[in-house]
Amino acid sequence: MADTKRVVMVVSEGTFDKGMMAMIIANTAASMGMDVHIFFTFFGLNLLKKGAKPKLPGMFRLFTGMFTKRMAKGGIADFPEQLSMALDLGVNLYACSTTMSLLSIEQGDMIDGVKVLGAAGFLNVAADADMQYFIG
Amino acid sequence: MVEVLDAKGLMCPMPIVQLAKKMKAMKVGDELDLISDDVGSKADVPAWCERTGNQLVETKEANGVFTYRIKKLK
Repeated sequence: MADTKRVVMVVSEGTFDKGMMAMIIANTAASMGMDVHIFFTFFGLNLLKKGAKPKLPGMFRLFTGMFTKRMAKGGIADFPEQLSMALDLGVNLYACSTTMSLLSIEQGDMIDGVKVLGAAGFLNVAADADMQYFIG
Repeated sequence: MVEVLDAKGLMCPMPIVQLAKKMKAMKVGDELDLISDDVGSKADVPAWCERTGNQLVETKEANGVFTYRIKKLK
C-alpha cells in the first residue's frame, strides 16, 4: 500500500455543481484512505451555511431539482447529506476567516465541525499536499 | 467467508464509497463480491484496491454487470 496521500481543495464558488464536485471527490478520496482538506472561500463559504441548498448557476438553476433527482436515482445523496458524510469520513472542512467577515457569516451560522482558518493556516495544510484542486 | 455487496444501479462514486464502508466492517482474510453495473467501476475498483492495499482476486463480466472478488488484506 502506498503512503497516505493528502488531498487539498479550494472551493471558491457556491453553486450546486462546484459543491457536489468537491464533495464527491472528497468522499471518494476519504473512502480510499486519503487525508482530505477543503478550504471554502468567497462564495464557496455559502456551502457551509446551515441548511444550504445550492443551485446550479444562471439559467441552469431551474434544472437543479432534476439533477438532484437523477443523482438520487444513482444512489448519490444530495448536498447536505454529502457534507455530513464527509464529516463522518473525517474530511476536514475549513472556513476562510476573511470571507466570514466579508459575508458576515459567524461560526454559529455554519454547520458543526467546520474549522476557521486564515491564509497562513491553510497554506500550512496545503504545503504537505500530494494533490491540489482549485474548484471555482 | 464471502460477503456480497450489490451496488447495481449506483452511480460513481457510490459503489466505491459503499465498498470502503463494507470492507471496514469485515475481518482481514474475508472476501467480498462487489456487483456493479457502473462502467467506471472497471477502473475504480482496481484503483481502490491498489490504493488501500487490498487484493482484487478476480473480475467477471456478464451483460454489462461486473463482479469483483476482493480480499481484505488489512
